Amino acid sequence: MTGRAAFYLVVSLALLCGPVRAEAATKADAPVDAAALYNAGTEALGRRDLGPAVTFLLAAYRIDPRARDIRTNLGIARARVEESQGSADQAPHPAPPPIALSWTESWYLAIAFAMAGALISWLAAMRPRSTRLLVAGSAFFALGILSFSALLLRAHEEGVHPSAVVVAPVLEVGPAPDERPLPPYLLGAGDEVRLGPSRGELVQVRVSGNVIGWAKRSGLWRVIDAPRYTRNSGV
Amino acid sequence: MTGRRRWVALLAASVAMAALPRIGACGTSPGGKLSIEASLDVSSVAPGAVATLTVQVRSAGLNLPDVTLPPLTVDVERPNQPIRRTPAITEHAGTSQSFSMVNNAVERSATTVYRILPQSEGTIHIPPLRVSVGKETAQSSPLTLIVSRSAVSPGKAPSGAVTGPANAPSGRPEVFVQATVDRSRVFWNQQLLLRLRLYSRVDILGDVDWKPPPTTGFWTEGLGPARHGRVTVRGVPYEVMEIPTALFPTKTGTLTIGSAQVRVRVARVIQPPDPWSMLGMPEVVPQDLALTSDPVTVVVDPLPPGTPAGFQGAVGDYRLALHVDSLTVRAGDPVTVRATIRGTGNIATVRDPEIRARGATRQYVVGSSTKVDRNGDRLQGERETDVAFIADQPGALTVLPVAFVWFDPEGGRYRSQRSDSVRVTVLPGTGAPAQAGRAGSGAAAVAALRRKPGPFGALTPDPPAASVGLLGLSAIAYAGALAVAGARRKRLRDPRVARLGVLESLLTQDLSRANSLASRNEAPRAAAIAEQALLRGVGIRYDLDLAGLARSERTRTLRSRGADDAEVSAVESLLDSLGAIAYAPPETRVQDARQAIGAVKERLERYRRELLP
Repeated sequence: MTGRAAFYLVVSLALLCGPVRAEAATKADAPVDAAALYNAGTEALGRRDLGPAVTFLLAAYRIDPRARDIRTNLGIARARVEESQGSADQAPHPAPPPIALSWTESWYLAIAFAMAGALISWLAAMRPRSTRLLVAGSAFFALGILSFSALLLRAHEEGVHPSAVVVAPVLEVGPAPDERPLPPYLLGAGDEVRLGPSRGELVQVRVSGNVIGWAKRSGLWRVIDAPRYTRNSGV
Repeated sequence: MTGRRRWVALLAASVAMAALPRIGACGTSPGGKLSIEASLDVSSVAPGAVATLTVQVRSAGLNLPDVTLPPLTVDVERPNQPIRRTPAITEHAGTSQSFSMVNNAVERSATTVYRILPQSEGTIHIPPLRVSVGKETAQSSPLTLIVSRSAVSPGKAPSGAVTGPANAPSGRPEVFVQATVDRSRVFWNQQLLLRLRLYSRVDILGDVDWKPPPTTGFWTEGLGPARHGRVTVRGVPYEVMEIPTALFPTKTGTLTIGSAQVRVRVARVIQPPDPWSMLGMPEVVPQDLALTSDPVTVVVDPLPPGTPAGFQGAVGDYRLALHVDSLTVRAGDPVTVRATIRGTGNIATVRDPEIRARGATRQYVVGSSTKVDRNGDRLQGERETDVAFIADQPGALTVLPVAFVWFDPEGGRYRSQRSDSVRVTVLPGTGAPAQAGRAGSGAAAVAALRRKPGPFGALTPDPPAASVGLLGLSAIAYAGALAVAGARRKRLRDPRVARLGVLESLLTQDLSRANSLASRNEAPRAAAIAEQALLRGVGIRYDLDLAGLARSERTRTLRSRGADDAEVSAVESLLDSLGAIAYAPPETRVQDARQAIGAVKERLERYRRELLP
């Protein structure tokens, strides 16, 4: 890789980061208390209010993914969602993995790879006949850039299709009023989906990357909106 | 009887038979080879109705001439007044031709059908129609068509809203359309059955074009596809096609169902002029007819006073059923209550009954659906409404009585039905404190609440601002490292630099090692290393490889490369002194070696300075 290619890479990343940062600037960047979200989710779980429980615990998991209590209760909430839908015997307990990084940690890990690659490359440049060292530095740098790019795509996907959880006991997801009538999908409380564009009171619902129809927005909570429903989640 | 006389007799008989069922006249040429016959299907017709004029021309061995119908008028004759003439519409419906050969005698005939549509009362005089071929000339007799309102139209249904064909039109019309309702007086929103029937005793070609009557003031629901059957009207069998429709009045007072319009194409069969001809098959001429039904008037009464509470406009015959999916639930689990209204009437407009419960924390309308059965003469169906109730606390959840009120038009009174209240026992939920710590499957314990806040973080997956800056710095640093490494590699590819590098290596590594060996009293080895370094250094200076060359050859090669004599002799002197160290006395050997190595070092240093840019 030459210096010119590295220059183009930096410019491309700057162009990619720009819209994401601009999008993020419109949202509340205030830190959120994972404990408040966890407590709200645990209380909702005690009430068997599965939709809010999954929403709060998912939000807490985003901030503190390695916390044992959050992972445990999120797994229980998901198990109860499957149990309420009659599929608990078919699927294993969907507890989150114990080794996980928060999004902030993921960003800085990618940066760490890139910085290590740059440092090793400098060492290689200072020494004669250091081709292997230069290849190792380039590999680290490429790993960091790839990780950063993947995180950018993930952030873009979350910005366009935010994660949401069904909070209504039964949510009908059917075609839009101007579309061909079809039988609706029925989602239960606690089902995790992604949202698309909105039309009035309706919002597009996506599952596994596929659009399954439109549903009332009042029956869904976005995960990033979870702090709005707690009493003390911000600082 | 000769052949000609027999032919004339047969012709006369056929003309007589053809003229029997209808009004017509026939004329034959004097030679008997050309004849023309004009006939009307009716002798009188109502204004606006259609009469059919059939003109048959027959020729024996001659060409068939064309027939032209002159413009016709409806003449109104009144005493002491001039005759008033109004034009009558005539349409050319079609022409068919036939050909026959009997006893080597060729006969051709052509049948032309005209439709006459008089618009006013009077008399239509159809003048004689003349045809001629060569010297043969024939003309038909004049015909008269009476246009009178007392005449029955073949396509007009009788007035009146009476079910069934009892009031069918007088006479024996071939096709007519009739609209009837099952009752002439109904309540508001009570079903009215409209039957639109097409009677036909001739073959209908193709599909029937129905244009339903305007039903302003009615909610209209179709009752299935067209029905077919056979009926007898005044002893005449008819094929009947019926379109049933359910009408629900949305206004009160006198409402009128407009005229339906039906367009059909019927097949008219015309007998050939020569019944004995072997090729004289009956001819079929299509004819288009436009039929209309008479309007029907219905009186709609308002619902009687004394409307009970809860009445929401349902009229018909209904039943209410209530179903609760479970009488025992856990706190937090939904209980679904379904109210079903089933019966006869305009089920699509029935409003859902109100379903309420006491002790429920939340309630949601799960959905509603309507099923309509259109197979009979009455519109019937059912409407279901599902409501889910959720109680968060253990105890009891009571579904309150559900009431439904409707008006029974047959009984002329309001009726209501009320369900019993249903008590649902709410058990503690699986996530309640009594069972806290147990997952739904009972496998995992719910973790306790946290007492301390934190950690804090962002829910959005956007990159932190610092990370973007650090990535940019990393990229710049990486690009700088690549640039430096590239420049270094490029510099090393320069031959002068490469030679300098080798000289420096000889100075810093080989001669240092030789010095070290000399210090350890290993002068012969040190001298050998210094000798190799000198040969290699001289080779680099003059771009030669001197290894293995004899002295004389080495001297010649150096001179050929530009080395002067002093340089050559100095190098050879150094090589001699290094070679002599191995044979020097032990007490001076180390000292001699150090001096020789120093001389080699000075020479290589000089070479290095010469190569520096």
